[in-house]
Amino acid sequence: MVSNVTYLANVVHPVQLGILISIYFFYTGLSAGSFVLSSLGTVFGIQKYKPIAKAGVIMAVALLAIAPLHLIGDLEQPQRFYTLFFRLNPRSAISYGTFLLTLYPLNSLIYGWFLFRRDFATGAQELTGLRRRLYKFLSFGKTDLSAAALAKDAKIAKFLGTLGVPLALLVHGYTGFILADIQARALWHTGLMPLIFLMSAMVSGTGLLILVLMFSQRFLSPERAITPERKSLLLDIAQLMLWFIVVDATLMIIDFIMLYFANTAGHAAAQLFLYGSHRTMFLGVEAGLGLLLPFIITLLPKTKKSLGWIGFASVLTLIGVIAMRINFVIGGQQLPLSGDTLNPYTADPKHLMMIGIFALLEISILYLTFRFLPVYGLPQEKVQTKLQHPAVFRQ
Amino acid sequence: MTEKKRRWAMVIDLRKCVGCNACTVSCKIENNVPEGVYRTWVKEIEKGDYPQVTRFRLPRLCNHCDNAPCLAACPVQATYRTEDGAILIDYDHCIGCKYCMAACPYDARFINPVRKTAEKCTFCYHRVEEGLLPACVTTCVGGARVFGNINDPESLVAKLVANNPVQVLKPEMNTQPYVFYIGADQNIMGARYDNLEKGE
Repeated sequence: MVSNVTYLANVVHPVQLGILISIYFFYTGLSAGSFVLSSLGTVFGIQKYKPIAKAGVIMAVALLAIAPLHLIGDLEQPQRFYTLFFRLNPRSAISYGTFLLTLYPLNSLIYGWFLFRRDFATGAQELTGLRRRLYKFLSFGKTDLSAAALAKDAKIAKFLGTLGVPLALLVHGYTGFILADIQARALWHTGLMPLIFLMSAMVSGTGLLILVLMFSQRFLSPERAITPERKSLLLDIAQLMLWFIVVDATLMIIDFIMLYFANTAGHAAAQLFLYGSHRTMFLGVEAGLGLLLPFIITLLPKTKKSLGWIGFASVLTLIGVIAMRINFVIGGQQLPLSGDTLNPYTADPKHLMMIGIFALLEISILYLTFRFLPVYGLPQEKVQTKLQHPAVFRQ
Repeated sequence: MTEKKRRWAMVIDLRKCVGCNACTVSCKIENNVPEGVYRTWVKEIEKGDYPQVTRFRLPRLCNHCDNAPCLAACPVQATYRTEDGAILIDYDHCIGCKYCMAACPYDARFINPVRKTAEKCTFCYHRVEEGLLPACVTTCVGGARVFGNINDPESLVAKLVANNPVQVLKPEMNTQPYVFYIGADQNIMGARYDNLEKGE
């Protein structure tokens, strides 16, 4: 190829799938990650992870309830979104994604209900006030607390959880395929893409789970404290995160080695991220802050035993994975297809506002569910206050 | 021998293109294309160092591929293929997800800022159905653009493709484009990455 070529006239092709889509990938990743962690105790039978099963499933459902709003918000014709359900194209990743995005949260919701039913039923009988009414309603009249009924719950939860794990993997794997199917974009078109998305989902899912557990156990659990058992479990989850980071980083390194030795466009993508203008976002934020630093924190004997450091590492993984989504979604489209400069991208203020609103909504949902649902069992004061409680006399 | 089905195609003979952009303008007028977006445009490059310099032009439009990535990408079947091979968009069903725009290796698609759906060149299907030629073809001053049924051996497009060395854009993408170029310089047909590698 000759080098002395100057572009005189061409049409600008701005990046189309922008920040909303990147953040959508971030939410689905968090959801899939927390579901898999929830299933470690219930499906894979690892006893020490049983206490986080409920927290994990609440996060999985709450995050996936908000995630698709980003997709609908990004449509140019949002009022036509429902046509995705019946005007199908079996060759389009979005088309089967529509059904995965519907089935997965429904399955998680029912799975979660079977995890919670015992507490709902007990609470409906033993608690007072608002919680009693709420739990009575949420138990849907299924208040049988016999050993047989509870065993049946566990069995159904295990079945739904077993179904949920492949669904969670598919939901996030399909988001990888949305990008990987596109041959035109050199950065996206690799079989590693679904795996990279899955592993970064596990990293960020673990990160958020640690943060949510820390906050909710300290301020919203009946004990209002991170007990020694809880602390040791949190540190244990942080060690899981360490291994997710190792696998994620390995996949990323493989991907970039492959890109480096790929065709012109692939090589240009590798150059752009390793030496070009995206270097800071990729090497600095995504790899350095998001993977390397949390790796060191969870590795060093001193920091890996400190909740403060682990919390800090978790925040870093979230920042790193957001950067990863932005780098891949937007960066992948910035690589020109017909021009000689990067395709420009400017975030639409309307989209930024939507992201803010959805994030507030998400935080509120998480706060309310952890505040009012028996994620960590029922409040302790239930029995002894039964007689003195004014609500009892009123009834 | 059974008669083959009609398949619309375009040949662009770059030896005759003067880069006047009459096609760009006529397309905008014919199809009411809003400001800032283009169904067809002309890329222009300069190759070489003074005094050995040549200017090359490449009129661009949708390739109406046989194996169209946009057709596979569209989740609501708003993008469809007519019997004679043209790829069209049903504007009443497009949800504007922009996935087709990510999938097209040719930057052929854009969002119409007024209609809020995906849009691209249609080979002026509304004109072709009436027996007219696409607007860009009728207006081309040098006669560089030729349109017709490539499966009809008597048509000019079939003859030009048969008797000339022709190129298509990015054949490695396996899209099987139906816009053929005669005399296209390799340096203008795809993207150039040397500016990016300089760290721009």
